[in-house]
Formats: sequence, C-alpha cells, structure tokens
Amino acid sequence: MPLKTDIVIRRAERDDLDTVVEWMADPDFTWFLYGDATRSPKQIREQVVGMIGRTSGQTMPGGIYLIIDSKREGPLGFLSIQKLSWRNRSCDIDLYIGKKALRNRLVAAMAAFRAVAYCFDELNLHRVGAIIYAFNSASWRLFEKLGAVRELTLRDHVPRDGQRYDAYGYGLLRPEYDAFCEAHRPLIARSDLGPPRRHETAGPPPTATEAPE
Amino acid sequence: MIRGEHSVTRTADQDDALALKRLYASGRPRSALLDRKREFLVPTVDEIRELLAKKDLQQGAFYAVEDMAGDVRGFCSLRGAHPEVAYAELVLLLIDEADYATPLADEVYAYLRRRAFDHMQLNKLIAQCLECERGYRDLLIRHGFESAGIQRDVHYTGGRWYYLESFELFSRHRDAQGAAPV
Repeated sequence: MPLKTDIVIRRAERDDLDTVVEWMADPDFTWFLYGDATRSPKQIREQVVGMIGRTSGQTMPGGIYLIIDSKREGPLGFLSIQKLSWRNRSCDIDLYIGKKALRNRLVAAMAAFRAVAYCFDELNLHRVGAIIYAFNSASWRLFEKLGAVRELTLRDHVPRDGQRYDAYGYGLLRPEYDAFCEAHRPLIARSDLGPPRRHETAGPPPTATEAPE
Repeated sequence: MIRGEHSVTRTADQDDALALKRLYASGRPRSALLDRKREFLVPTVDEIRELLAKKDLQQGAFYAVEDMAGDVRGFCSLRGAHPEVAYAELVLLLIDEADYATPLADEVYAYLRRRAFDHMQLNKLIAQCLECERGYRDLLIRHGFESAGIQRDVHYTGGRWYYLESFELFSRHRDAQGAAPV
C-alpha cells in the first residue's frame, strides 16, 4: 500500500515566528525539550530569530586552501579546493606549483596525486573537477594521467593578450581514482605518498578459503 | 518592458518573490537555481524578496516573463556578462516545463539573444541543463546551441546523481540552420 502524505519539511519563514514563539513559551516545550521557563516571550523570540538565521545550510566552509610541502624541496605550491559541497560530495581544485623549476618534474605529478588523494581519502568526496586552460597542456596531461576525463570543451573562452583560448573541464570520479590507485599500487606503495590505503596492502585480500574461521 | 506577441518581459521586482518561490518549491532540480557549489538551497520568500530588491537585479539583469494575461510564467537572465570575457550565461526558467515548446519561450529567447549579440556585442552565449531539463535542452538545440560536453555526477538529490550538460552558441553561428526565425 503506497504511503502518501502532504507533509513537507521546509525552512521557517518570518510569518512562522509568532507560532514558534508560542510553542516555545508553552511549558510543555521546556518540559519535553529544553529552555528556561522564566524567559519572557521577547527573549524566546530573540532565540528563535537566531535559530532561524542559522539554518542557511552554509555552515561548512566553501573552500579550503592548503600548502603543498616537501621535506626535500620545502613548500612547493598551494592547493585550493573550491566549491566544496558536502551534499554533492564534490569540489573543484586549483593546483599551483610555485617553484617553476619543478613544474614539469615528477614532483608536480606527486603533488597532483597528493591533492586528489586528499579530496578522496580525507574529504571522502565523490567527484573532483578542474577547469584547465587549453594552453596549460602540462596540467591537463597530468590530470589525465591521474584518470580524469575531459568532459567539457569551452571554445574561445579565456581571453589572454587579445586572443581567446579554449578551456577544458575535467572530472575525476571516485571509481576512476580507485582504478588509478589499483593500477599503480606498487608505485604508490614504494613512494612516500602517505599512509597505506586499501590499494596499498602487501597482497590481495584473503579469499573465502583463506579467511580465518 | 518588452511586449511581444506572446509574452511580456520586464525587470523582476520584489512582488515576483512568490512566483520565483514556486520554481524553487517545484521539487524538480533546475541548473539555474543551483548555487556556485551546485547545491540546491531553497530560500525563504523573504530572502527571495531581498534578492530581487538588489540594485544590480533591478538594473535589468533579471527579468520576469508574463503571458498576455499578466500571469508570471517564468524568469530569464543573461548572467555573468563581462566585456573582457565577451560571453554570458543564458538563463530561461519557465515554471511549466511544457512552456519551453511554445512561441512564448521562443519569443523570450529571441529577446535575450538580441540583447546578448546586438546590444551587448557578446561573442557567445553559454547555457547549462541538468539531465532532467529536457524541455529547456530541446529549446537550446532548436535555436542552434551546440553541446560543449557533459559533466558527470555534479548534483545529488533525491537519492541519485545528475549530470550537467553545457551548451554554447557563438555570435557568428546564431543564424545557422536550425535556429528559429525571430
């Protein structure tokens, strides 16, 4: 039997204020929930206004800025995680290698891997996106090596020195990241890319016959 | 106020808050209503009213679309236009999905296109659709927009992921075959 209802959940509007104050001023409210029975309706009203104002859904930071550091090389650059959405479990990243001499070397690739690993393994995201300009071929090739897919080509999108260049939109989903880690498990295990994750275990997981009883 | 044969396009004001709330409360995700993180946050009527009172919106960036009976059928905008980048995002939000196939939608689109390419001298228009916005997508294709690609799993609601398709229309291609006459 289908369960049908007209009940909805929504954010409180200003017109609801009097109703909520009335509820909260009722002794049952403090009895069953919380609050001080000696408070005046004015004090309750102020509390309710404060509560309603806090329900904007924007309590998490929208962005995180992190430094990419190396024991050998010192600070290499920064990672900017933007549009961080806990609902969509997604973000966009900007990765900037400040030390120019290192940009086309393995250290840049390690930094990029570290950046996406942070997004997936620490922030538990599902999708990492990046907008990379077509003329920045070193960056988009690096992102593709990590398993990212070019999803978008925006033509004549970026103005530079009187010309317009294309921009590419890349997306890396968790299954693609997992596949990359699986494919490069020996390399990742040999490197200093952080604590072992499940891809880096010494051998395959025990089969049913090998599992302890 | 732009009075056409099927529609009236005018600057949206605070009195349109309830109509805009209907779009937010429809329960169907719309790309234009997602925030920059692509989250769908339903604002209160007061917040919408505040938004519509902002000066930059009053100066013509956000329009209400009425039918000839004076009922608000939706909203439209050219978002993010800037002389340096020379493009803007076309936004056409109609409350009833079926309206995208009507002359009203074509007329409003034609106004936005003229404004973008003839008045503002933009190089291109971009537009975005979630996969569930079939009517809007059909309108864009009908008017010569080309897909620039699909971003996967960008929005999560109702227990599933949605992809987002981006479209482009260049000024030089606006009269290409497939574009409806205006």
